[in-house]
Amino acid sequence: MVELNAKFVMDTVLPRVLKAAVWGTFTFVMVYYLPLMLIPKDIPPNILPFDYATQLFDFALISVFFAVVGQLFSGTVIGCGFGIARALVIIAFFFVVSEGGVFNVTLPISDLTVNLRLDISTLLLMVVSVNLLSIAKNLFEAISLLTEKSTRINLT
Amino acid sequence: MKIAIRMLTIATIILWIIILFFSVTAVYSVMNVDIKLGEVQMLPSSEGIIFSLPFSINNKGYYELADLNLTTRVTDPDGTMLDLSETIIPSIPQGTNVSSTHKIPIDLDTILSMDLVPLLLNDSSFNIEIFAGLNFARAVPVQLSTNVTMPWGAPFAYFSVGTISVSPYNSTHSEASIPVSFENHAILDITGTLKMEFYNNLDELIASGMTAISVPSQQSYADRILVYTRLQDISKLTGSGNLHMIFETPMFTVEWWEPYG
Repeated sequence: MVELNAKFVMDTVLPRVLKAAVWGTFTFVMVYYLPLMLIPKDIPPNILPFDYATQLFDFALISVFFAVVGQLFSGTVIGCGFGIARALVIIAFFFVVSEGGVFNVTLPISDLTVNLRLDISTLLLMVVSVNLLSIAKNLFEAISLLTEKSTRINLT
Repeated sequence: MKIAIRMLTIATIILWIIILFFSVTAVYSVMNVDIKLGEVQMLPSSEGIIFSLPFSINNKGYYELADLNLTTRVTDPDGTMLDLSETIIPSIPQGTNVSSTHKIPIDLDTILSMDLVPLLLNDSSFNIEIFAGLNFARAVPVQLSTNVTMPWGAPFAYFSVGTISVSPYNSTHSEASIPVSFENHAILDITGTLKMEFYNNLDELIASGMTAISVPSQQSYADRILVYTRLQDISKLTGSGNLHMIFETPMFTVEWWEPYG
């Protein structure tokens, strides 16, 4: 039994954990460090309509969490469930951060108070569409996995 | 099923790449839009004056700027609209520099239809609402709005009438000397005729006179206006009353009442 568990850990768990760690690190670099490096440092802090570093970090945390659990449970129905959850969380996150797709910000510029209205609803619609596709993909995957399981004939 | 899943995976990856590419290039494009504002010029026109604001937009980004709309709304201190001007640039493609001028014509008829007296006597401010909108890459509409107040300097600021003194002028008339002072806070010199009608507290016209005035911008005026009255009307003079002031220029006439005494 102990031998079997060790074999299971070495063959299944360890590669998954390593893969999850690599994916988590890769996701963090791609989603947080890279955009942070690309954004120019000389932007005045009151020009952007939100605290982009904090929002980016929050998004990175969500992305890393789902990347790690997605890899740990890949090829399982739980993994598909996490895939659907990730899509829903990302949709909700973008809705909250973008205030429903329309930013309304008041910027003090020298003596003036400038009201800025930025409508990114098209971009938000694209993000929602991609995540809906992702939900569909995960549903198909889950159905496929369950179908394979239920149609497998156990001859022993 | 496997093919459908694979196709959905590919579609998702492609769409994410498109979104990321658009987001990154859009941010860079916004950073590379160079907007230059010129100095506001005041130009005379056949109907009044035109405030002209030249500007240029150099779109060094990757996307087109469409439907640029610059609108200004000028209102007087009471909120009455004096002008609504709009400048529209349908498209600024990437890599192009577009120069334009936003013009705010102030029609003299509109100004003259206003109640000019408060504007002549008291410093005030006009309100300018500025609205700018554009469609970035025909996908992200951006709108900016702000309010600017433009100070108005009254040409007859702190207008005051001093103590009136009366002295005999000749055998038939007496001379009344009325000290008048004010400050020209306007951006323009004022040149015209200041007529004065002298009424007692029973609203009887006792005398009238006029003087030509020419006061440069930001200068004070202090002088005496001499009016002449018949000797038999001297008895009608009262310690208090009203002065009917009439200021005339070749372009307009404005009148108001000032109490004395």
